[in-house]
Formats: sequence, structure tokens, C-alpha cells
Amino acid sequence: MSKVVLSPAEREELLVRCFSSVFPALTTEEIRIASSDVPGVWDSLATVTLIAVVEEEFGIQIDEERMPELHSFAAFLNYIGEEASRGS
Amino acid sequence: MKLIEALEIVKRPIKLDARSFDVLLAAGFTPLHLQTFLAAHLRLLKPNRRISVHTALFGDLIGNIEKAKSQNLDATAVVIEWADLDPRLGARNSGNWRADGLTDVERSIAVSIQRLADAIASSSKSPVVVSMPTLPMPPIFTTAPHQAGGLENKIQQRVASLALRLAELPNVRIVNSQFLHETSPFNDRIDLKSEITAGFPYSISHASVLAEQHAKLIHNPVPKKGLITDLDGTLWSGIVGEDGVDGISWDLEHKTQMHGLYQQTLASLVSAGVLLGAASKNSPEVVDRAFDRRDLLVSRAEIYPFEIHWSRKSESVKRILEKWNINADSIVFIDDSPMEVAEVKSAFPEMECIVFPSGNYQGIWDLLKYLRSVFGKSSVSADDTLRLESLRKGAEWKDVVSNSSGVSLDEFLKLAEASIFFDTSKPPETRAFELVNKTNQFNLNGRRYTESEWVAINSNAKSFSVLVSYEDRYGTLGKIAVMLGKLEGHKLHLESWVLSCRAFSRRIEHQCLKFLFERFGCEEIVFDYAQTARNGPLQEFFIGLKGKAPYPSMALSRESFVTHVPALYHNVKEHVNV
Repeated sequence: MSKVVLSPAEREELLVRCFSSVFPALTTEEIRIASSDVPGVWDSLATVTLIAVVEEEFGIQIDEERMPELHSFAAFLNYIGEEASRGS
Repeated sequence: MKLIEALEIVKRPIKLDARSFDVLLAAGFTPLHLQTFLAAHLRLLKPNRRISVHTALFGDLIGNIEKAKSQNLDATAVVIEWADLDPRLGARNSGNWRADGLTDVERSIAVSIQRLADAIASSSKSPVVVSMPTLPMPPIFTTAPHQAGGLENKIQQRVASLALRLAELPNVRIVNSQFLHETSPFNDRIDLKSEITAGFPYSISHASVLAEQHAKLIHNPVPKKGLITDLDGTLWSGIVGEDGVDGISWDLEHKTQMHGLYQQTLASLVSAGVLLGAASKNSPEVVDRAFDRRDLLVSRAEIYPFEIHWSRKSESVKRILEKWNINADSIVFIDDSPMEVAEVKSAFPEMECIVFPSGNYQGIWDLLKYLRSVFGKSSVSADDTLRLESLRKGAEWKDVVSNSSGVSLDEFLKLAEASIFFDTSKPPETRAFELVNKTNQFNLNGRRYTESEWVAINSNAKSFSVLVSYEDRYGTLGKIAVMLGKLEGHKLHLESWVLSCRAFSRRIEHQCLKFLFERFGCEEIVFDYAQTARNGPLQEFFIGLKGKAPYPSMALSRESFVTHVPALYHNVKEHVNV
């Protein structure tokens, strides 16, 4: 798995696509404010799938210990941003 | 396929009235992304079906397989992993890996394999696709990993014998582990983190490849029917018109062995029922002398027809298609000249046209494997081996009929001493399923059946099926027609009716209807007719019989049939085996 180098805007766009594939009923605007607090949409299966999609698309391995904090679109975006700056 | 692509494919909209296609994914682990990938690959292969991949209780593979019995499924995908044979072989279980406990592992695997074999054998009549363990075994054995110890070999042998036993079941197909090795590197298959944290043992890439193989075997498309090959630079190395008959080669000595392998692959395809024709810009006499060579690995008798002249290749291909009476999309054309390939492709865009990779060892090897993939079939029937000969006879028949000046068709048919066999056994032979699903021209409505639909129809007590065979003094055509329908009072509803194109012009179609009227004592046949892009010959038959084009739910009374049917000269026999 090799890390994908993207600009911040490209990262956000790709993350929206990842979320959209897992939550096809959500609009782009809804995705940007999505969080696991909303019941019935974001369950444990969605989390596992989302992590797998994000890892594959961004070429990263998400740290197991950080997984519990990845409960929103913003949190994912932040994590991916940290990974990108670590690699650069 | 990436996971994101699979998720997007699965979510693509589909027509509201799309027919469903239900598959049970039976696995002992959490199926997670394997379920997504299987649904996505099936969706690509069956774009007009509403795909549902069902799963059951995790951790109980045998119980899941047994569930298939009570469900109305189109197929079952059984994914076996080491932990299903003994939990100690999975990374999620804590057990005894001590040397003295290993013989117990082997005993336990033997029991699991027996239970699995019994469960799969009795699970479902619809197709069952099985993959044997695909992951590396855990480091459980006392030998160094680079040494295959006795116990490990015994376990592998037990798994191989399970595959062998299951492969003998008519509805079971086994994922080829060798092919899987080529497409999914062994070291990249397991994802231990995913297995331990989420119960899903596969890497994303392996899940995609494995699901694709399952989907392909579930889909099981109709193989292509014929191959047209060039000669110079393709069937053999060299140009026979310039190098002479002794100057062409296909052997080790001349470093042209790959052409020999191509020849023996073609001969093998012919023996499995594939039609083989030759199209070459050459002098017929020279090619004729080349085929006198005894060391050719594909014989003159295995090729029909030969189109040897200096006209365009597309002309040759057109004539071959006419003789075979087969559509271009069922054919593969192979020539070493990119220009000839392009010329044929432009004339027949739906035909698969391949440049023979002369001088490229790996390229030719890959071509041979590719030919197996498009012509491959689960088993070879007696009818497959008859096909080329009966086509040749059919063409001779046409020539005789058209050239018999002074001899009427009736006189000719009388002299043919034809026999027709109607087999009303239930369920009909597999050949009936193949015919219904691949015949285009004389086809009542173009309806195709999945294997599970076929089983359901033939299990219905009200339904009948008739498989028709034909032979005459010129040879046997084998099984060439199928009729499926229901009898309701004095009305017979004909739901499917196909007749192989090589059996045209013999009034077999008339004899089929006569048989239905007489055998079932019906007064009227109602045809579940639908026009298709290709069933012109069937429409012409009805125009000839009734004087007008067919239409949906068209009826034919016994009286009308008796009035219009031409004289029939066949000797008719029936076979029933219920």
C-alpha cells in the first residue's frame, strides 16, 4: 500500500467519495457534517467499511488506537491531513 | 476492483421490474467486503438482474450451507477456510498447537471434511460454487516453513480429495486454486489485523479476486461456438506458398514449437465441440498439400470449412459464418496480420478478433489460456463431438437439395430415411438446458433460464419437456430441439421451443408440432411467441405454415395444422424415463 499524495482540496473530495460509497443516501452537504452520533445510518459495519475504503484510497493504515476518535467526517479529514503532513 | 468501486457498483440504480438473482454466501467468518465484492462482480456480469447476496450466521459454515436447502436461491457460494476445518487453524482461536495435539487436528479435519461434503451434496439443486482454503496455513507444524511435513501433506491431501469429490456433483463448481495463485499472490491474501479485529481474514485485493472467481462460476456464460484461424504465420510458422510445404514448421527443431501448441489446442477445442474453420490467402492446391503432412497436430478432417483464395478475409469469414449458420458474436477470429484482423473487425464489429502474437512465447501461451476461458465448458457431451460432422453433413445436405435438379424436396426427404426421437424424460438431459440457452434463430421467444429456474420448471408436475434427436442416412445430428410447456385441458401452452440451425430444411419443426398434438391429445397449441432480433427463421416457419407472421399468444388448432402441414417422412420414436 503506497501513500497517495494529494492537495487538501483533493483529499476532501476523495473523502467525500469514500463517505458517499458507504452512505449513498447522504448528499455532499450531509456528508460534510456526518457523524456517528446520528443513529441508524452510521453503525459498526459502516465504520469497518469506511475504514477499509479510506485506507485503500489514501494508501494509509489507520492507527487502531486512533479509531475510536474517527466518529465524523471532520475527524477523518483531520486524521488524513495529519497523515499527509507526517509523510511530507 | 477496489472496495470503493464495488460499493459504487452495488448501489447503481436498477430497473424496478428487474428479475431478482439471489445468492447465499456461506462462509465461516464475517463476510464483510467479500459480500460487497461478490454482489459487485455479479452485478457486472448480470447487469439486468437485481442481485442479492445473502449471508447467515457467522462461525457456522456447515449450518449456513444446510440453510440453502430451504431457500429459493439461484446459487450458493461456499467459501471454506482452514478455521472451518478446525478452529485451531484460524488466528482468532486460542488452542493447542503442541506437537502431541497435531494428530488430533488432522482427525478433526477429516470429520469436518466429511460433514462439509455431505452438507454440500445435499444442500441445493441450484449451482453451488466452492472455494477450498485460499489462505496460508498458520505456523502450526513442527517442520520449518520451507519443508512440507507429513501431517501438512496429509491435510492438503484431504482437502484435495474433498475438491475431487465435490467436483463430481453435477451442480457443483470448484474455484481453480492454480488460477487463483496467478491472480492473487499468496503472500498478499491474509489480513491478520482485519481477521483479529473484525473477523474478516482477507486483504481487500484477495477478497475482490476470490469474489470475482465465484461470480464467474455462478454466472457460467454460454461459451463461444467457433474459431476461424489463419494458416501462414499462425497455424504454422512460415509462408507455405513461398517456403514450400516442407519449409513450414511447428516443432522444437525449428524453434516454432509454440505453433505446435496452438495446433494441439485447436484440436482439443474441436474435440470439445468447438467449430474450427480456416481462412487463408493462398492457393488451395498448396494448402491441400500442406494438410497432407502427417505431422500436423490438427487434421484436415477437424477443420470445416476451408476458405482458401485471394479474396478479402472478411469475405472468407462471411462464407464460413453462412456455412456454420452462427452469429459473429459467437466466433473468435485469429490471424497474425494486424491489418487482416482490423479488416475482419471492421466488417464484423461484434466478432472477437485477435492478432496471433507470432514469436512471442508468453503471448501465445496467454492466448491458449484465453481460448480456454472463452470456449471452456464443465463437461463434454456426445453431442459436442458430433457437432462438426453434423455441420458438414448439413452443408452437404443443403448442396444436395439445391443441386438436385429434377428431384423434388419431398422425394429427397423420403430418400433420407430420417428418424426423429422424442425424449419426454423428466428432468431432461443437460443438453436441453444448453440448447435453450444458446439457440438464437429458431427460438420461440429468446427466453433464457438460470440453472435454478430450469430445475424449478422441470420439477413442476404440470410441465413437460421434450428433447428431440435426429438422424438420417447421411449421418446423425444428435439432440437438436427442445420444447417446454404445460397442458391445460385441451390447450397446450408452448413456453419455449428451440431448434438448432443445423437441423433446418428437414421438416423437423413440423414433426415437432405433430408430435405435440398426438402425444398430448390437445386441440390447440398456444405459442408464447416474442419477436427477437434474431428469430427470423422461426418467423419464416410460421409464415410458411399459417400464411402470416406470428404474434404473442398465437394459437394453432389441430385442424389448421393438419390442413397446412406438408408431408412428413420421418420414422418417429419416443423415449420416456420418469
